[in-house]
Amino acid sequence: MSRLSSLSELDELRRVLASAANPDQPRIVVCAGTACHASGAGNLVRAAKQHILDHGLVGKVALRVTGCHGFCEMGPFVLTEPQLAFYAQVKEEDIPRVIAATLAGKYVDDLLYRDPDSGKVYYRRDDIPFFKHQKRDLLGLNQRIDPIRIHDYIAEGGYASLAQVLARRDPAWVVQEVLRSGLRGRGGGGFPTGRKWALLARQPSGRGKFLVCNADEGDPGAYMDRSVLEGNPHSILEGMVIGAYGTGATEGIVYVRNEYPLAIKHLTIALQQARQLGLLGTDILGTGVAFDIQIVRGAGAFVCGEETALIRSVEGKIGEPRQRPPYPVEKGIDGRPTAINNVETWANIPLVFRVGADEYARTGTPNNSGTKIFSLVGKIKNTGLVEVPMGMTIRQVVHDIGGGPSGAAPIKAVQTGGPSGGCIPAAKFDLPIDYDTLASAGSIMGSGGMIVMDENTCMVDVAKYFLAFLKDESCGKCFTCRKGTQRMHEILDDISRGRATLADLDLLEELAGVVTDTSMCGLGQTAANPVLSTLRYYRAEFERHITQKRCDAYVCRDLVGAACQAACPIGTEAWRYVAHIARGEYAEAYRAIRDANPFPSVCARVCNHPCEEHCRAAAAGSQAVAIRLLKRFITDRTDPMSYHPERVPTDASRPRVAVIGAGPAGLTAAHFLSLEGYPVTVFESEVEPGGMLYSAIPGYRLPRDVVRREIQSLLAEGIELQCGATLGREITLDSLFDSGYQAIFLALGAHKSLELGLPDEDAEGVIPSIRFLKAHNVRGEALGRGRVGVIGGGNSALDAARTALRQPEVDGVTIFYRRSLAEMPAFREEVEAALQEGITIEPLTSPKRILTREGRLTGIECIKNRLGEPDESGRRRPVPVPGSEHTVALDTLIVAISEGSDTDCVSVAGANRVEVTAAKAVRVDTETLLTNRPGVFAGGDVVTGPNTVVNAIAAGKRAAVMIDRYLRGETLVREPRPRLPERYVGLPATAADEAAPSGRVVTPRLPISARRRNFREVEAALTEEDAIREARRCLRCDLAFTESLAPAPEESAARTGGAQ
Amino acid sequence: MITLKINGLPVAVEAGSTILEAAQFLGFPIPTLCHMEGLSPYGACRLCVVEIGEGPRARLVTSCTYPAEEGLVVRTASARVVRARRMVIELLLASCPQSRTIQDLASAHGVHQQRFRQEHEDCILCGRCVRMCEEQMMAKAIGFQGRGERRTIGTPFNEPSAQCRQCGGCIYVCPACQLRCTYNEPDKAICGACANLPAPCLEKEGAADMLCYMSPCVACEIKR
Repeated sequence: MSRLSSLSELDELRRVLASAANPDQPRIVVCAGTACHASGAGNLVRAAKQHILDHGLVGKVALRVTGCHGFCEMGPFVLTEPQLAFYAQVKEEDIPRVIAATLAGKYVDDLLYRDPDSGKVYYRRDDIPFFKHQKRDLLGLNQRIDPIRIHDYIAEGGYASLAQVLARRDPAWVVQEVLRSGLRGRGGGGFPTGRKWALLARQPSGRGKFLVCNADEGDPGAYMDRSVLEGNPHSILEGMVIGAYGTGATEGIVYVRNEYPLAIKHLTIALQQARQLGLLGTDILGTGVAFDIQIVRGAGAFVCGEETALIRSVEGKIGEPRQRPPYPVEKGIDGRPTAINNVETWANIPLVFRVGADEYARTGTPNNSGTKIFSLVGKIKNTGLVEVPMGMTIRQVVHDIGGGPSGAAPIKAVQTGGPSGGCIPAAKFDLPIDYDTLASAGSIMGSGGMIVMDENTCMVDVAKYFLAFLKDESCGKCFTCRKGTQRMHEILDDISRGRATLADLDLLEELAGVVTDTSMCGLGQTAANPVLSTLRYYRAEFERHITQKRCDAYVCRDLVGAACQAACPIGTEAWRYVAHIARGEYAEAYRAIRDANPFPSVCARVCNHPCEEHCRAAAAGSQAVAIRLLKRFITDRTDPMSYHPERVPTDASRPRVAVIGAGPAGLTAAHFLSLEGYPVTVFESEVEPGGMLYSAIPGYRLPRDVVRREIQSLLAEGIELQCGATLGREITLDSLFDSGYQAIFLALGAHKSLELGLPDEDAEGVIPSIRFLKAHNVRGEALGRGRVGVIGGGNSALDAARTALRQPEVDGVTIFYRRSLAEMPAFREEVEAALQEGITIEPLTSPKRILTREGRLTGIECIKNRLGEPDESGRRRPVPVPGSEHTVALDTLIVAISEGSDTDCVSVAGANRVEVTAAKAVRVDTETLLTNRPGVFAGGDVVTGPNTVVNAIAAGKRAAVMIDRYLRGETLVREPRPRLPERYVGLPATAADEAAPSGRVVTPRLPISARRRNFREVEAALTEEDAIREARRCLRCDLAFTESLAPAPEESAARTGGAQ
Repeated sequence: MITLKINGLPVAVEAGSTILEAAQFLGFPIPTLCHMEGLSPYGACRLCVVEIGEGPRARLVTSCTYPAEEGLVVRTASARVVRARRMVIELLLASCPQSRTIQDLASAHGVHQQRFRQEHEDCILCGRCVRMCEEQMMAKAIGFQGRGERRTIGTPFNEPSAQCRQCGGCIYVCPACQLRCTYNEPDKAICGACANLPAPCLEKEGAADMLCYMSPCVACEIKR
């Protein structure tokens, strides 16, 4: 390379390069940024070179190895020219096919990027949503340039901006242009770059001035500076030379951390080449301008990104900040004027001059011009670097470009700006991304890290993580930052362990304010942001950690214990019985289940298993352990009568308790109260106990004899059952108190279907779902006729639909649901089973009119919906589409939109003086379940509206505890305590071959043909072999808490021997 | 001369003076800890913060380092300053309660409680000793090591220093009073001079009714 000694020689070189280039040359481009390197790009490059040499393709197909393109999730990938086909996650052995196709101008369809949801194949890279919504002014060049070849950069118009600036011979104009472009510092502070340059230009130049490129990128999860340095180092150099010309700076420094070896390598090569070509040094392009750049490697202290600390580090001293003023622009490195800009800022400078300041300022929003690169990481589908114009909304970045959450859990927040930044909740995703908006939302732009967090993220844990980072990375010079971060971390740690009080939370907030106010440098001044922003949006979550000792994301270990146990409303030690099953100890397993749950056989069939939703095996990348099926396995082989709980002996002197309603809530309360020795009478208005278990849940899900047997075992001792006694008719609360009952538990359930509120809802053939199900289950009447329509998307709608399908006079069943399938509140497996059995589901459809003839239903008029903005439940609201009305002919219409309580009998207006809510639910204190009448408690569906069986049982258990305390005259409210595993169950002795990993067991179900027109139970129990294998998949979260309780080795050997 | 306003009072000071010097000239008390006449301003303890500027641009700065500027408006005891100062003292008290200097500060500013987990550290890393050693004793025998939580003061590689002349200057200026004093562990002692100097709080011995926040007082126990 010969030295260029004038501006025209640079132009000449570019012309030569351009004439040599052939844009139609088939070429494969391999991204070899650090992320792709980690996923194997090096092997692709090797394979491609080998293939080209071996097959004599030199000159026919070219290879370019480039820096990062941004789509790191799909690495290693290959881009082809001139087609711009994008082959994702390519393997070495795919390379020959890719080369062959590229040569032939064809595509390798199976390797092309396809949308993970729809499976759609994209032939052109620029059509892929990840790329389509970006504006890649800076990153876009990376694919065109091999970073170790200066000619690539020059051919792409590199150093033309410099030539333009040098030709104009007006330094003041340079500063003016940057000022006019509106470019703001990309390091996070957002200080206008032009203003900084103007300040530097004004400084006396006697001893020289410094320009620094700050490449000390230290935010966890942020790597955009790294990618620019690695992929396009000359853009930084060109920017710095332009800056030097504009400000009169004489020396340049790139301060880069030693952890970036590839960046340092590429930068070193770039510096050499630029010097050789005369683009750096004493006489740049023959104009007499002198400027050279050195690399200073930092040791990786986070604080050295702060400008005064960086200066100290460059000077060879301990990297710690000093108090400003004086500002670096007055007194910087060695006391000389210094301007420090971030990598991305420098990379923007050539662009500003290439397109002109006015054109540049058109991108983005006023006062926030240009693009910004973000590193999008965390629980997001498309991890990678994205470059977007300023002012794009967070939603567009996260959903349109990022593709939404990577897992099933919805996105909760994004954390921007690294440790000094803050969290922005999903509700605020419509905010535009710019310096000022993010700051007012309590976060900062920072250097551009964007960590996406889903609902499995605990905000206390997030704040704690960042404070742990900051307390290690605080330089320690100023007291409030050093001690402040330590103390904030200490309090957060206490909160996450359930040891903090609400006063500590106030102290945390007070301290955070003072740390922000009094710290010396930017690190300390923003160190409290993780605390302040999470507190601002998620204070309730902090408070629940403190007052309820609960971590709703199931993250904080000392509050959660085993997630399955913590998630269970009745605190079943799921890990315990799973562990016993794995050891073949079935009697112990039954005891573990039954101790917590008086309806194990029922829950084994119909529980919504929150335990499985939070199972760590699923969070760890596998699938949740099939806990409910394991429960079914145990309960099927155990007679409930064989369980004999410990009982307090009862006698006539004990206070008597009345329970109204013999559903799961009522019977649970009665059971646990009877264990405490209280004589209990249960009043039931139907002819048989069981409540919804018996009258609403169909037999194919929950066989009648299972319910009967379970209830029989509960009623065995101490409980008297009176059927046919309805509150308000045969009994009243007053009459019960008069006849000696000292406490009453209302567990009436919610047995009243809500109405659509349309005219003609009383027409013949329109049936509320509860009436339909009760008619079938209690009286054996089949009300379904002909074509049946069901309105609703909950479990009650599904039960009604599947029951109707089994009735003899039904021709077909259609469910109409107003939102989309994904939003249906019914259990997923129910929806699947319904579809399998041949039920049609019409999503996004609402009834508008009921059509009748002579008082008899003939059909409904429906309207289609589209999904609008999310409502308060987080689900997207259905919005009717005008003109989409259509009619559906029906013979039966079952209305299953929801159920309410029939509380007229108890309400204030009635004789029993119990307060009810507007929705006619009984009003209780949620902690104590106490109503407004002393001694009267209420729980279950009558309080919550339609709810799951396990929640009803939980209410019954709580009521039993509260009534016991009430009758003893104790305080009802107690300090909550996390439920941690307390018993040790050893690991099973496994043979080596048994330890082989296996997926989740498949739920055994009756074939469709065997289910037609009958009510045989659909789901079957696991085989013993399957059950043991499934149980052994458990990760045994409990052992972390119970291992210390393990018996000594010889003792345990003896015990295991005894058990077998 | 530069004119600025402190707590509403105009004051003219020489160029190059700090806010602290100007305030002391007027007689407004500003507590300090890491600041010491004769040593270069350091700004580490954050105790001397004052509020400058007005409206939304008002901010806290350390008066020991901030140069007096023409027309500057300074408040030395605004609510914001007092709130910050009291929190700094509370943090000091939580880390190093045995220091009489800190006890006196707490007493003077009415800080009667300390809500953090109590620690008994023997150093608040104010850096007086390091600057004393370097700037007054010209020895540079001691300096800072590590960062964040692990920041300490010591000699290079924690070896006894050939530069140290055992002058005791470091102990003389130490507000935590235990800093260099490893009297009870002579192996680790840098100088051993502490045996010759009274620790700042020792004068309370023999005055049983004297107030001391701490029980037990680490300083007293070491001397015993």
